Amino acid sequence: MEKSIEHIWKHGFDVENKLIVPKLNDLYNRKSKHIVAKFKRMFIFNTWFLIIFSVLFLIYSFFNGFLFGGILIFVLFNSLVLINRNLFKTLNKLDTNVSSFEYITSFDSWLKVQVAMNKKMAHFYYPLLFVCFMMGLWFSDGGQEVINEVLGEPHQIYLVNGVPVYWVLGMSIIAGLFAIFGGAIYKLDLYLMYGHIFRKLEELMKDINELKN
Amino acid sequence: MSNDFYTLKILPYAGIIIKICRAYTDSQEDFEDYYQEVCLQIWRSREQFRGDSKWSTWIYRLSLNICLTFIKKKQKNKQHVNADNKMIADTIDNYAFSDESLNLLYDAIKKLSEIDRAVILLYLEEKSQKEIAEIIGTSPNNIGVRVNRIKERLKKLLDGKIN
Repeated sequence: MEKSIEHIWKHGFDVENKLIVPKLNDLYNRKSKHIVAKFKRMFIFNTWFLIIFSVLFLIYSFFNGFLFGGILIFVLFNSLVLINRNLFKTLNKLDTNVSSFEYITSFDSWLKVQVAMNKKMAHFYYPLLFVCFMMGLWFSDGGQEVINEVLGEPHQIYLVNGVPVYWVLGMSIIAGLFAIFGGAIYKLDLYLMYGHIFRKLEELMKDINELKN
Repeated sequence: MSNDFYTLKILPYAGIIIKICRAYTDSQEDFEDYYQEVCLQIWRSREQFRGDSKWSTWIYRLSLNICLTFIKKKQKNKQHVNADNKMIADTIDNYAFSDESLNLLYDAIKKLSEIDRAVILLYLEEKSQKEIAEIIGTSPNNIGVRVNRIKERLKKLLDGKIN
């Protein structure tokens, strides 16, 4: 006669000697390393994304009479990549042979330095990115056509000594706004990408801290 | 997590956690990860327990939720699982129960959907329909029907394998 599943379950666990409780060892060490590893993976992925995007954009700009903007954006993105790669090298120097608390604290400190530095740079590179893009448009074939259409007869009044003052003024105001809010935009950008890792890091630090006390 | 909390509030219910975690994992390594995560989450959520239900019910609910969340994450990262197949094969011997019928039953349970696994585990743990419904977050009315359907499916899966 076949045994019922209820019998198999009950009898199985009655005689089972393998209900061994796993040891709760090294949990926080593993979690700390896991968070840092995840951050590293995302960081490398985003770096490559910037490189690939800038190369593709350069190729696109070449074939679409937009080369000036393509070169500017390529240079800007790759400068950012270079700076951040140098910062990233210091992350690999963090000592892993310390307690989870020390390890995660040193990672947190590294992160704060990295974020502070990028936040400062953001006040420059967001407006620069905007200016690069607009200048690229300005000097592109299509852009020139639009400009001739807008600033040609009978719109010459917008030109002062041949300079499209209102155009430049508008661009300057927007670039200025990017310069003012660059840091905030960077933080928003950062949290959209790495927010879940930061939340986990915060949670983990709180846990370890609570344990320490 | 403090030792006192673990010893007094989790360890007496470790059997529950082990049974649930084993239904959602295929290797000793995964099982230990799930077990540790469940313990950690129980500790983190300890202040949310208001005593509306039994502590054991609370543990069932948390364990199932965590396992279901983990398994979803794992499905997302399925490509990594293939790479780990060798490791799973290496550890599977240590992972099996000594009771062969129990192994077969677990294998059959793992073939069910995630929610059906939760329902049958709670049923086998002799939880009432009301408690199962409360833990799963569904109406008690359809639990009985669902349990019968799952049992039928398990019988088919085990057909001829257990005497």
